[in-house]
Amino acid sequence: MTRSGVPSQVGLLQGTLDLLILRTLLAGPTHGHAIAKHIQRTSEELLQVETGSLYPALHRLEAKGWISASWALSDKGKRARFYRLTALGRKQLAAEQSKWEAFSRAMVLILNPADQGETQ
Amino acid sequence: MSSFFRKLRWFAQRRDKEAELREELRFHLEEEAEENQERGLSENEATRAARLEFGNPTLVEESTHAEWGWPRLEQVARDAGYGLRQIRRNPTFSAIAIATLALGIGGITAMFSAVYTVLIRPQPYADADRLVMIWDDMSKNDVAKKHNSTPAEWIEWRRLNTVFTDLATSQPGEATLSGDGEPEQVPARKVSWTFWSVLGVQPMRGRIFTEDEDNKSVHVIVISYGLWQRRFGGSSDIVGRKISLNDETYEVIGVMPQTFYFMPSRDIDIWMPASFPAWMRSNFTWHDAQIVARLKPGVTPEQARQSMQALSLQVTAKDFRGPHSVFVVPLREEIAGKTQAALILLMCASSALLLIACVNLANLLLSRSAVRGREVAVRAALGAGRGRLIAQFLTEGLMLAVFGVIAGLILAVPAMRFLERLVPEAMGAAHLSFDWRVLAFSAVVGVAAVVTFGLAPALRCSRVSPQDGLRDSGRATTGARGHWFQYSLIVAETALAVVLLICGGLLLQTFQHLRNADLGIRKEKLLTFETPLFRYADFDKRVAFVNAEIEKVREIPGVVNAGSINLIPFTNFAHATFYRLDGQPTSSFASQVTLIRSVSRDYFAVVGAQLHEGRFFSPSDQRSGVTVGIVNEAFANRHFAGDSPIGRRFQLGDEGHWYTIVGVVKQIRESGVLDEEKPAVYRVNEQCDQMGDMQAGIVVRTAVDPASIVPAVRRAIWSLDNNQPLARIQTMEEIVDRQLSTPSQSTALLGAFALLALLLASLGIYGVLSYAVTQRTNEIGIRMALGATSNQILLYFGRRGLALTLTGLAIGLVLATIASRLMSALLYGFQPEYVPTVAGVSLILLSVAALACFVPARRASRVNPVIALRNE
Repeated sequence: MTRSGVPSQVGLLQGTLDLLILRTLLAGPTHGHAIAKHIQRTSEELLQVETGSLYPALHRLEAKGWISASWALSDKGKRARFYRLTALGRKQLAAEQSKWEAFSRAMVLILNPADQGETQ
Repeated sequence: MSSFFRKLRWFAQRRDKEAELREELRFHLEEEAEENQERGLSENEATRAARLEFGNPTLVEESTHAEWGWPRLEQVARDAGYGLRQIRRNPTFSAIAIATLALGIGGITAMFSAVYTVLIRPQPYADADRLVMIWDDMSKNDVAKKHNSTPAEWIEWRRLNTVFTDLATSQPGEATLSGDGEPEQVPARKVSWTFWSVLGVQPMRGRIFTEDEDNKSVHVIVISYGLWQRRFGGSSDIVGRKISLNDETYEVIGVMPQTFYFMPSRDIDIWMPASFPAWMRSNFTWHDAQIVARLKPGVTPEQARQSMQALSLQVTAKDFRGPHSVFVVPLREEIAGKTQAALILLMCASSALLLIACVNLANLLLSRSAVRGREVAVRAALGAGRGRLIAQFLTEGLMLAVFGVIAGLILAVPAMRFLERLVPEAMGAAHLSFDWRVLAFSAVVGVAAVVTFGLAPALRCSRVSPQDGLRDSGRATTGARGHWFQYSLIVAETALAVVLLICGGLLLQTFQHLRNADLGIRKEKLLTFETPLFRYADFDKRVAFVNAEIEKVREIPGVVNAGSINLIPFTNFAHATFYRLDGQPTSSFASQVTLIRSVSRDYFAVVGAQLHEGRFFSPSDQRSGVTVGIVNEAFANRHFAGDSPIGRRFQLGDEGHWYTIVGVVKQIRESGVLDEEKPAVYRVNEQCDQMGDMQAGIVVRTAVDPASIVPAVRRAIWSLDNNQPLARIQTMEEIVDRQLSTPSQSTALLGAFALLALLLASLGIYGVLSYAVTQRTNEIGIRMALGATSNQILLYFGRRGLALTLTGLAIGLVLATIASRLMSALLYGFQPEYVPTVAGVSLILLSVAALACFVPARRASRVNPVIALRNE
């Protein structure tokens, strides 16, 4: 696959995959493959989700009770394991999201110091 | 549902889960391939691209598996399975290890259940730790140091004390139930109205009596759950029922719950208002009340004691005969009595036994870990980390612990039945059972034992380097340090065994002394029972009735003779009074107290008492004649040491007239077999004019088994009066055995613990030496090849074993001197011979240890150097 842009791909930060999965499921229940594609597409192909990380993450979230899984038919009429956000997961998502936003704001502030720093 | 339970459920369904995961991943692949096809790739290319994208499916599967949280569980299950296989593969080793552990666990489990029941379990009172008993200190009158208090003291103390929220009295009261069913004498107590509030107890039905009812002597009673069930069939209309008690009508107003008990024994069935008569309220010599009090918040028993001693002096100073000091004893201590000391000693002994068992177990595991050096080396070479190896050894140890605990619980059952007889009388026939605490206790002990004592072998074993381990199957993998560790374990367990053996020896001597002590009577074939005399308040009628009873009983076939005494020997320290001898000033009354008993004329002959000098009572001792008394040896020794008291006279209490001493009887410990010798005075029934005697104890000497004549005795008494109850029917042997039960049970148990300790310790010595011999077969072979004789080899190993034993013995002897001081309460004032005990124990230990050393040492000396060296 060919990609344009300087950062052709970025590695996932530790712990962010969980947040991305939860966020993806906010739109509605779906299966593992669709989750991976959704993350890829929405991030403009910047984020590549490895199958080797995706499924352990899904099962880990399920064990924690943040998402639940059940078998259902996919768009193409095949049996697939659908994941859905639980109430606990929704709460977790809100918490993680605000934590992440605070973190990324802090990162931006440090990496791009405001004007006064330059004028000195 | 928590994550833990979800994972557990998944674990149970792991086959389904695995199939599901495979399907899920397959779907992912297919989906990817389809998408690739949609983008224009051929079917083959699409699948290939999807596979490439997907990566290694097995790896994905495995890392997803890991998220299910099973690896650890699966590992534990695998180790446990492996442990089970190990147990099965080495049945001898496993049996010895499990039996060793079971002995330790069984002993301590049984002891814990008894300690919990008697010393720890909450007592059925509100805030029981704030309750104390107050006893008069009568040591200056030396009849009983700790004595019942007087109701008059209760009244004054209640008014003046500053340390208690309130105090209550409990006095003996006999109650004869009649009317419906056979006349029955039931144990009763007369208690002050404050009794219930001091203890903080409530009836399960009805109510308790009020201050007003107590003061006005209203005929109301509170009954026990047991009586309610037994006599009244648990009938629901019991409250308010009128019953006939001592030929008077009483109303039942309440029923106490089943769990309720109080001093002096659990079998009390009726509580009635104390309703002190006027004369009792100001009499400081009427000592028949037990006093229980509740400490004010923040007051310690010690503070209460100091305050009460001052108050006691102040209150009784006005009566020269009164006690001038008190004992304040926490209720729990009072109820547990001597049992507390016995239980603590036995708990320590069983802990020592457990420790010895654990040491043996550690030795066993250590010896075997060396044998398994090769296996461990292979595992280590294949990549098992140190932690992983330790985990495996501990899991194997835990499998042993599981079996050990189960076997231990089985062993604990008979021990618990045995221990039940140690439960103090005040708590009644408590049943020791496995409740969750006992089970949890033994499980924790078992696991802790294996983890603590299995850790050393596990650590040692996991240290094996694969090279050394694989090069040779275990030879010399443990160096001098390994031996040093095992040797110190052996010394420790030998020392513990010595302590147990010596304590056991001291107790055994004490018990033999107690059992062989001269009771003063012949206890065999002697039946005793009591008949209350409240129906015969008139003196002449009372004497006549007692004599009629004796006559009737004598007629029964199998009866040799019968007599009466107001209180059956060994059962009661009540009935004591002040006295003075002829020639002593009146003030002597204050400091002299003696037990007094009234007996039928030939009572002494019936019980088989021995005359020290003078004579027993004779038909000439009539009511109208000279009043005479027989004193016991303690009385004679107190005043007439080396001189004859015959013909001397004494005066009792307020009576005013004189008794002439006509005989001295050999000591009968009226107040209890284990009690100290107290002075006592015996008078003949006809010459007693005390009206306070409410019962007659009848003693029957039989030619047949005394229990077999009980029905005939009942019929004989009922033929005189069919409303006459018989109480406390028991043989003299039963009375004596029960009183000796604490020393006999604790001696037997400690003896058993000590013998097991000896057995385990010698097994330990044997095990370690044989292990050393096995390990050093090569070395022995070389020594012999170089000219060592088999005797030299025998001595070499024998010496080592004996050196260990002697070190253990020396340490044990030092510890035993400390331990024997702690158990002085169980020696009942007896001074056992320390030196012969030590000598005996040393001899036994050395001979058993010598045998344990000899067997492996001999094996070493028989080593054939050719075979030993060919092993190389």
